[in-house]
Amino acid sequence: MPVTVAMVSLASCWGCYQSLLDTHEALLDILPQLDIKFWHTVTDFKYKDLESYKDGSIDVGIVEGVCRTEEDVHILKTLRKKCKTLISLGTCSTYGGIYGLLNLTTIDQALKRKFVEAESVQEPNIPEEDVPKMLDFIVPNRKIVDFEVFLPGCPVVSKDIADAILGLLKGELPKPPVRTLCDECPREKSEVITIKQLKRDYEGIPDPKKCLLEQGYICMGPATREGCGALCPKAGMPCRGCYGPGPNVIDQGAKMISALGSIVDYESISPEELVEKVGDVAGTFYNFFLPSGIISKTVRKAK
Amino acid sequence: MSKEIVIEPATRLEGHAKIVIKLDKNNKVEDAHFGVTVTRFFEKFVEGRLMERVIRIVPRICGICPEAHHLASVSAVEAAWGITPPKAALKLRDLLLQAKTISSHALHFYALAAPDFLVGPLAEPQYRNVVTVIKHLPDAGKKAIELMKIGQDLCFLVGGRAIHPVTSVPGGQSKPMTEEERDEQLKRIDRAMELAKFTLDLARKVVGDYLDVITKLGVFDSYYIGLAREGVHTIFGDATVRVMSPDGKIVADFAKKDYLDYVAEHVAPHSYATHIFFKPASYPDGIWRAGPLGRINVADKMETPLAQEALKEFRDAVGRPCHATLAYNWARVVELVEAVEKAKMLLEDPDIVSTDVKLADVEPREGNGVGVVEAPRGTLIHHYWSDEKGICTKANLIVATNHNIAAVEKSFLVTAKQVFEDKIHEKLKLPEPMIKT
Amino acid sequence: MGGNGEFEPRIVGILCNWCTYAGADMAGTSRMQYPPNVRFIRVMCSSRVDPQFILKAFELGADGVFIGGCHHGDCHYVTGNYRAEERIKLVRKLIEQLGIEPERLRLEWISASEGNVLVEVMNDFVKKLKELGPSPLSKDKE
Repeated sequence: MPVTVAMVSLASCWGCYQSLLDTHEALLDILPQLDIKFWHTVTDFKYKDLESYKDGSIDVGIVEGVCRTEEDVHILKTLRKKCKTLISLGTCSTYGGIYGLLNLTTIDQALKRKFVEAESVQEPNIPEEDVPKMLDFIVPNRKIVDFEVFLPGCPVVSKDIADAILGLLKGELPKPPVRTLCDECPREKSEVITIKQLKRDYEGIPDPKKCLLEQGYICMGPATREGCGALCPKAGMPCRGCYGPGPNVIDQGAKMISALGSIVDYESISPEELVEKVGDVAGTFYNFFLPSGIISKTVRKAK
Repeated sequence: MSKEIVIEPATRLEGHAKIVIKLDKNNKVEDAHFGVTVTRFFEKFVEGRLMERVIRIVPRICGICPEAHHLASVSAVEAAWGITPPKAALKLRDLLLQAKTISSHALHFYALAAPDFLVGPLAEPQYRNVVTVIKHLPDAGKKAIELMKIGQDLCFLVGGRAIHPVTSVPGGQSKPMTEEERDEQLKRIDRAMELAKFTLDLARKVVGDYLDVITKLGVFDSYYIGLAREGVHTIFGDATVRVMSPDGKIVADFAKKDYLDYVAEHVAPHSYATHIFFKPASYPDGIWRAGPLGRINVADKMETPLAQEALKEFRDAVGRPCHATLAYNWARVVELVEAVEKAKMLLEDPDIVSTDVKLADVEPREGNGVGVVEAPRGTLIHHYWSDEKGICTKANLIVATNHNIAAVEKSFLVTAKQVFEDKIHEKLKLPEPMIKT
Repeated sequence: MGGNGEFEPRIVGILCNWCTYAGADMAGTSRMQYPPNVRFIRVMCSSRVDPQFILKAFELGADGVFIGGCHHGDCHYVTGNYRAEERIKLVRKLIEQLGIEPERLRLEWISASEGNVLVEVMNDFVKKLKELGPSPLSKDKE
């Protein structure tokens, strides 16, 4: 008996649904078990169809993306009403994600940059006719509605999505993480890590076998939960924390700052040099997490 | 104004938009709006970020074509800092974009566009989707998935991740390709070639069945824009940006860094996505189309042999420039063939397994740089300003699909008139659909 | 707010047990007056100060956060104060990016015998915070 499902994208990149498609052959197992009631990128159901369904009549709802406009909030709330089980798919929906970096400034500054000051814009003007109003800041979706399941990741890796959906079809919830990314990462780590020199991601040629943090590249591994299989370190790049905080962590960025303090060698890198080398503290440590941080947005008022 | 037809959301696309057709009391079309209802302001929130991190932020503009953003971004940073990476790195990047073009064009053809043609425009809306295609044409469905998988797996190999790649850094790539990996990919690319030919055959059949619709519905003049290397179709690397006028003349062929002289944005009050146009022709005369039809029109020829044959077939049927909106889908398959051929050429190049893929010494400097690649949906321009520490102080982004927003809106106006005023849907020659629902 | 309507900053002070807290004790027993604006919390080492504490204090409306630890070389646990300094200076840059004046986060090394220094520092901190005004996150602020 197919499970009814409604899949929604708020303001998003569609990467998590692309990751669902990237289950490839598994799709041929998954799709026939789903009775899709709404999925605007793939099917032709409209908002009025979604709104017409009886409350609580859809078995599973999936939300990707963040609420950037008032219309997004309306769609999110509508979906919550219509669905029995609601899944937050991806880091955007679960934590606020990368669009949360805009919380470091105000929406007025953003509108100004894009529609007034941009070098290629002629006749500056801000769209206001029949377009939904922008929210002032990104707020994680769980502060707007309740969810039964959270699947973070940017994107959620295909295996996690396939496992979660196939599990849910059997009535099982996904298991929460137990370890951090470092536990998944195959790179060699010393007993005690001390960073004697900090490097920007493009500096030097990293040793492909050794821990990137030890080599001086800022890797969010210690503050990030397991789940992705350490894809970025395997590809030669430091982790940026896209899967969200490890278990028992309230604020991912703050935890990474704490970890760095423990492993930076004070003799080699003074606090001033550390701040200088990191450069952009907020962007470095809160790349995906800012709207869920203890302080989740700028306190500057719009001018 | 007596009636407004609102279609929301627009479906079978990535992104959020609504379509509004305004009819007067005599059922004449007064206006049509394509309102893009959201934007995320990447150009603002990359300010203050380290430039090398911007390269890993901007792929989140799009989960279907993140490779394009990643590559336009690293090109812009390297241009700003005055860096030329090793040639093997550039070849890996080219390969990454070809791989993405393979899977994205396959996705678009089979999942987004084909349903309308295979199920037919008179079928009920609930059947017009890829799920129906897979159910009724399981062989085509399996082949589509296999082709997308080959593309995505190659993206994963070169980009570190298929969705939101990470391997491009200022100065090169973070990992080389091994000979074993290359050998495995060469086997798969041959299979991809078979699948691309299958897709071309299917496209040929669909075009043949729907030629009347394609040559009559939603046909209108516009300018066209796309990259070309001395007139040859290309999506990456050394190239100029070509612009063709509605009457088929090449009216501009400019260096990437000069885009601001030729590319301008008009802010439409009802859309968060601006209307981009050919600056010398002003708005709205200068509206243009990018993406497969744009690139095919501006190119004198394709880069690879089978694709060139496919282009000749295309031009024999619909001419150059082709102004038929629905011909995009055919142009897309021609490009799919080229992407597979080009990927194979790059895999056969011994440089692709070179270990010299990254400069060891890279220094940021103050400056600004432009990176341009062809994303599947159009000419993608990233322009960044860097300070002496390598922090992004400003960014201007012209995102691929954006080039088409004005033309999409115009296509609704044209088509709405044809439907409501001329009743064209009663006159078009429609085939028996391949899938009966 | 103070009795006469003047803004009185609310400061959260986290002090290490061995040095600064002992110094505060000494200030108390010597009847040195330090301003009532500060609430002291004792931790075993300045390195115990999780950046999450600092952010939480500001988020709850603290106008200033003060952290006191041992002088370089004197840390009871040898390296704790060095780690604290690396962390706290990063947090200071973070709050600046968030629009909170970095001067609202203050770090000083004050030993057990320097109760007088603690008093001076507290008086100075209160003065500077009065000049800055309430924290942008302060709940008292309109």
